[in-house]
Amino acid sequence: MTENVSSKEAKQYIVVQLGNEQYGIDIQYVDNIVRTQKITRVPKAQEYFNGVINLRGEIVPVMSLRVKFELEPDTFTNKTRILILKFEPQAAVGVIVDEVREVVTLDADSIEKVSYDPSDEKSLYLSGIGKHNDGLISLLNIAGIIVEKEKEA
Amino acid sequence: MDVSQYLEIFIDETREHLQSLNEQILVLEREPENVDTINEIFRAAHSLKGMAGTMGYKRMQRLTHDMENVFSEIRNGKMKASPKLVDVLFKGLDALEQYLDVIVNSGDEGTEDNEDIIKALNEILNEGLGAVSAPAEAAAATPAAPVAAAAATEAVAESGVKPVKLAEHEQSAIAKALSENLNAFTMTVYIQETCILKAARAFLVFKALEELGTVIHSEPSVQDIEDERFEFDFTVVLLTDKDAETAKKKVENVSEIKMACVEAIRPEAVASATVEEAKEDKETKSVAQKESAAPAASAQQKTTGKPVVNRSVRVDIDKLDDLMNLVSELIIAKNGLVSINTTDVAGLRESGFNEQIEYLERITTNLHQSVMKTRMVPIENVVSRFPRMIRDISKKLDKKMELYMSGEETELDRTVIDEIGDPLMHMLRNAADHGLESNEERIKAGKPEVGSIFLNAYQDGNNVVIEVRDDGKGVDVEKIKKKALEKGTITPEQAATMTEKEAIDLLFRPSFSTAEKISDLSGRGVGLDVVKSKIEALGGDVEAKTVLGAGTTFIVRLPLTLAIIQALMVELGNEKYAIPLGSIQTIEDVLPSDIKYIQTKEVIHLRGNVIPLIRLRKILDVPADDVTSESLTVVIVAKGDRLAGLVVDNLIGQQEIVIKSIGKYINNNKMIGGATILGDGEVALILDANAIV
Repeated sequence: MTENVSSKEAKQYIVVQLGNEQYGIDIQYVDNIVRTQKITRVPKAQEYFNGVINLRGEIVPVMSLRVKFELEPDTFTNKTRILILKFEPQAAVGVIVDEVREVVTLDADSIEKVSYDPSDEKSLYLSGIGKHNDGLISLLNIAGIIVEKEKEA
Repeated sequence: MDVSQYLEIFIDETREHLQSLNEQILVLEREPENVDTINEIFRAAHSLKGMAGTMGYKRMQRLTHDMENVFSEIRNGKMKASPKLVDVLFKGLDALEQYLDVIVNSGDEGTEDNEDIIKALNEILNEGLGAVSAPAEAAAATPAAPVAAAAATEAVAESGVKPVKLAEHEQSAIAKALSENLNAFTMTVYIQETCILKAARAFLVFKALEELGTVIHSEPSVQDIEDERFEFDFTVVLLTDKDAETAKKKVENVSEIKMACVEAIRPEAVASATVEEAKEDKETKSVAQKESAAPAASAQQKTTGKPVVNRSVRVDIDKLDDLMNLVSELIIAKNGLVSINTTDVAGLRESGFNEQIEYLERITTNLHQSVMKTRMVPIENVVSRFPRMIRDISKKLDKKMELYMSGEETELDRTVIDEIGDPLMHMLRNAADHGLESNEERIKAGKPEVGSIFLNAYQDGNNVVIEVRDDGKGVDVEKIKKKALEKGTITPEQAATMTEKEAIDLLFRPSFSTAEKISDLSGRGVGLDVVKSKIEALGGDVEAKTVLGAGTTFIVRLPLTLAIIQALMVELGNEKYAIPLGSIQTIEDVLPSDIKYIQTKEVIHLRGNVIPLIRLRKILDVPADDVTSESLTVVIVAKGDRLAGLVVDNLIGQQEIVIKSIGKYINNNKMIGGATILGDGEVALILDANAIV
């Protein structure tokens, strides 16, 4: 955060791999990165919630970004990680990703805004496209992904 | 002076005093002559005023001051607690509560002067005193001022002797002594204000006096003096054959005694004492005495008083000691494990290990219980404000009613206590407004004119049950059905086949009110459904029972604690689930041939009950690889009177589990009451039997 103050525009993102796409998650929401562990299924929950895990005594729901983005379901490998996101202080959520790549710093100039289309739910999930070296990173809008459920309710 | 650090204490204690005032004034309304109550009220009002003054809340102080004046008049028998007065007093209390709320929120008392209440109080005061001259009133007011002690000393300066109130037997003793040519003196002894061991000096004075004669009376009481509960003076009545001067000298010989003032008691004074007493008492009686008596009394009151809890829990020091002990045992157990680990002999290691585990288990169970105990709060904290509320409702609706409470000492978990107040209040209002008939109707129905509402709390196994009962007209089941039909909540077919219980359950549906007219109190349709959802959120449930013409009972069942429960662990496929032991009735082995079908639903017939079977695998979408065994394991769970059989694959056993929330983002269909972490770190979900049945 201090870094943000010094160079206002730049933000750090954790780059993760999902299928053959790269996604960036704003580092300020990331509480933790853990290896996969046994996920307890919760009956009748949303399809994209795999269940809950025990994170050092706390119960944390875990969602699959792949299911949410309508990609083929997760295959758990040695590289699979769960990112624990804390969007609000008392409510953590885990997201499953194929692989965690690196941390990049992007300033405002290298972020392209995406058009927001209210009819397309999925456009809510992205906050922009980041350009880093040669590659493109889809920057995730954490609020849109996590809080969506509350809007439905 | 910076008093902000005392703000919390002030808020706590003010709440305490206001609550006690509320209770006592209610008693006063019923028994205007009850001296104990009046004294209690006076003390509470007095401390309240003092506290407000110290904290610099001038408006609050002024209001309490004027209220205190009235109490003081009542106490002195100059006034009666008329219904009008009680109304004004309650208004005053409400105003004080408002001040307090403002203080809680902003740290400042706000700007509301409540002039009307003060005016009303003073009017009543003037009316009540009527003929009594103004100076008397002034005298009544002065003592209340912060400089009371000094003022009081001045008031009695001329004679130096403070008049005392004598009981009948004391008067007759004086009369007898006088007839035997003994002298009777009233003596007020002033101790130097720098004196540190007042009680010791007083003791020496008493000793000196006993050498001269008999001390038959002392104010404050000897006990209070011994405990140093007095300011710098006390008054005694002495019977002696010596003269006044001797007695005076003797006392003044004791060091650190400022002076002793002696006055002879004349025979006629004793004779007419009863008549004069009140007046004399009123005019010159030092408030210093009262003041000194007040802290003493309130100190006593505190020790016997009930714990009043706000945001914090007051924990008995014994409970903390228990906890401390258990924690030390825990450390010992840990050390035991460490030392076993270093033992070389394998056999010894094995047995010692098991022993330590058992030891550890015992400690954690005790620890759990102790911690739970510190979280427990008597429901008194919630219900104590209800009598006042019922009184107000009674006035408002012009319906005579009485609230009877029992089991206030029943303890519940802190978090439950915090939440249960509103639902209970709602149910009481319901009972008062809809439940009870008007007085005329009651008389017509041959019932006592005054309606009764009962609030009973008791512990029932792992639950606490709170019943709200009224002896009113009961709920007309047909009327509910009709109403539900009109609203389209149910179909005519449903109405025809509905049991009475199902019909009553309709009351808990959203926006369902049978009241014909909407009143200020209830009938707006935001009612029992809110109560129900609130109670269910606490893990409890509520049901209603009614007898037409004889009354309605609402039964609230709450879990004793929320955090840790005993549960039965069961297995479904590869998944583990916990079923709270509290809702389990029995566990049965059922042969597939025993399963009967009613309307294509599976049921079993068990000891006279027809119990629907619920295949947990199916409703929980457990990935199926069906096991075919010759018998089904069925866990019979109950919700109120309703039973259901849950079919499980395997029983794992009973376990103490810690309930955790599964978070708000994940969709919860209510069947899952939470999750818990098992010994191996795995997460198991807790089934909420209430939602499944």
